[in-house]
Amino acid sequence: MSDAPLSPAAFEARLRAVGTERYHDKHPFNLRMHEGELSRAELQTWVRNRYYYQTRIPVKDSAILTKSGDPAFRREWVQRLHDHDGRAPGEGGLELWLRLAETVGLARDDVASLAGVLPGVRRACDAYVELVEGADLLVAVAASLTELFAGDIMKTRLAAFEKHYPWVDAEGLAYFRSRTTQAPRDARFGLAFVVENAKTRADQERCVAAVEKKCEILWSLLDAVEAAHRRPRLSPHVVLRDDDERPGGKVAVLSERAVRVNEAGCEILAACDGARTAEEIASLLRARHPDTPHVADDVHDFLGEMERLGVLVAA
Amino acid sequence: MSAAGAPRLWNLVAELTYRCPLRCPYCSNPTQWSAIRDALDADAWGRVFREAAALGAVHVGLTGGEPSVRGDLAEIVRAAADAQLYPHLVTAGLPLTESGLAALRDAGLRSVQLSIQDADAEASDAIAGTPSFERKLAIARAARALGLALTLNFVLHRRNLGRVGEMVALARTLDADRVELANAQYDGWALRNRDALLPSREQLEAASAVVAAERAKASRPELVWVLPDYFSGRPKPCMGGWGARLAVVAPDGLVLPCHAARDLPGLAFWNVRERSLRECWHEAPGMNAYRGESWMREPCRSCERRAQDFGGCRCQAFRLTGDAANTDPACALAPRRDAIAAARQRPASDALRYRDARSS
Ligand code: SF4
Ligand code: SF4
Repeated sequence: MSDAPLSPAAFEARLRAVGTERYHDKHPFNLRMHEGELSRAELQTWVRNRYYYQTRIPVKDSAILTKSGDPAFRREWVQRLHDHDGRAPGEGGLELWLRLAETVGLARDDVASLAGVLPGVRRACDAYVELVEGADLLVAVAASLTELFAGDIMKTRLAAFEKHYPWVDAEGLAYFRSRTTQAPRDARFGLAFVVENAKTRADQERCVAAVEKKCEILWSLLDAVEAAHRRPRLSPHVVLRDDDERPGGKVAVLSERAVRVNEAGCEILAACDGARTAEEIASLLRARHPDTPHVADDVHDFLGEMERLGVLVAA
Repeated sequence: MSAAGAPRLWNLVAELTYRCPLRCPYCSNPTQWSAIRDALDADAWGRVFREAAALGAVHVGLTGGEPSVRGDLAEIVRAAADAQLYPHLVTAGLPLTESGLAALRDAGLRSVQLSIQDADAEASDAIAGTPSFERKLAIARAARALGLALTLNFVLHRRNLGRVGEMVALARTLDADRVELANAQYDGWALRNRDALLPSREQLEAASAVVAAERAKASRPELVWVLPDYFSGRPKPCMGGWGARLAVVAPDGLVLPCHAARDLPGLAFWNVRERSLRECWHEAPGMNAYRGESWMREPCRSCERRAQDFGGCRCQAFRLTGDAANTDPACALAPRRDAIAAARQRPASDALRYRDARSS
């Protein structure tokens, strides 16, 4: 790799290429959303969880503000806080998202309380805030550049909702409508800033890496939402046997590994009948153990881990 | 730790024979393989399996050489299943047949790991040293049709790293559950052929990117890819630790902590023909030589990674530094890491020496 910086046009092309390859408009969940294939429950899970992402946006934008010594930059960037938080109660993007939540049939306060946010979604969104907090101004701004691709996805989404989900009130779509104009405006500023301030090849590469990382984060958010509606069951290749060293526990033996499952895990495995979704399994266990904290989170994390290890397969 | 001080045995690797119709130039069998005869019949293996289960084992990998050259493979599989071990077959795909595989399934086989030498028929046959690609595909399809778990194993090197994408595509076509994209380990035959096999860093980086892109496409098949220790600066956590979880029983009955430990000088391993597996696992001096951490020298002794990588591979330490107790030279902290650096700087060669029966 040569060390000379890319020309502004070539650098911009690199940044855009990341979106072409990795932006979450290509995630299977988004594809299904835009094809009209999501169930009401899936759409609700998405709206509920994506709200957590929305709440992290002003937090990371505040962090970016603290990194800049330039009044002109801050004047421009603070606009984003106004966009999300509004200038008065009842205004702004977060409010619009809560209205969307209501129109898809969720209770506004319930969504706003952030109860029921999936652990994988929480991790993805927190990772974004951490990425921005730990970065210098250039990289922090670069991580926002997924906005370059957001205008288009909002348009697709609006059209898809009107066509495929007529039960979602047009009122509720105001957030998407607002972003079709805000995202390109924000992206133009962010892009100009990054192109101007990434002076060395190394800086440019750090910016590209930040956009890649951000795409990964958005992708994993949808992975978690999607997994919540899959129906796990024991892999046909697994042999479950008693763990003779741990009463109540089992050992799941597969072709490449043996996985020890404790008693609590065994209760979850027993609920994986291929008919219940992960969400339903989590509710079932929560109802059975009302006094244990974080049951639903633990269930989702356990199911994800077992699927990764091949103990469970999910359709 | 069990009462006698040795950890629980989880996994048995049963090397049923070193015979094989293929001649891969990176074969991990001993270079003197032809002098080691198949000394255990199906009954003897059955006894070993029952003893392994009693020591805690839940799984047995039936491997070789090529296990299907044995006429009694179905009996051996049945003995493993009867002992409550999960029987897993590691095969090159021949002389195994579809009906033979069905018989193994009926005997209790659960899963198959099939080696394929390349994504391309000609290149695969060239590395295998014998026409075999089409047979392998037939066995993969049969495994799928029989409901067996299917892993494909591609050993990677300079000549095929550029086709990792094609390998994954082939695995998708064959509907494999898992694909091991396994960079050659430079021991045994592979060490002899290192100049012809060792890839460049650029090749590895390109392959890494391909794997990442393929992983993003779909969660299945599971893609196993690890940057090889020669390039990562991180030694491999060999066998999950010496004598820590896994025992290899060689065709002659010798019980080893890994498939290559036979050649380490000064280590006495014991044989299941003469003693119980329990004794061979718990008490053989060779088994205990590098168990735990007390044998370690600096920098491993005080390194915080020692519980994760156990100081790396003893065989590699011996082969490249002359002393198996040294830190694996693949480690960036190893005093003798120059041994790896030197290998990477050597000019590439085109001369492959295929596995053969001459001992040298
Ligand atoms: S590596 Fe090749 S030659 Fe060696 S046992 Fe496996 S298939 Fe046979
Ligand atoms: S010094 Fe030893 S324990 Fe530490 S990383 Fe290297 S090989 Fe592992």
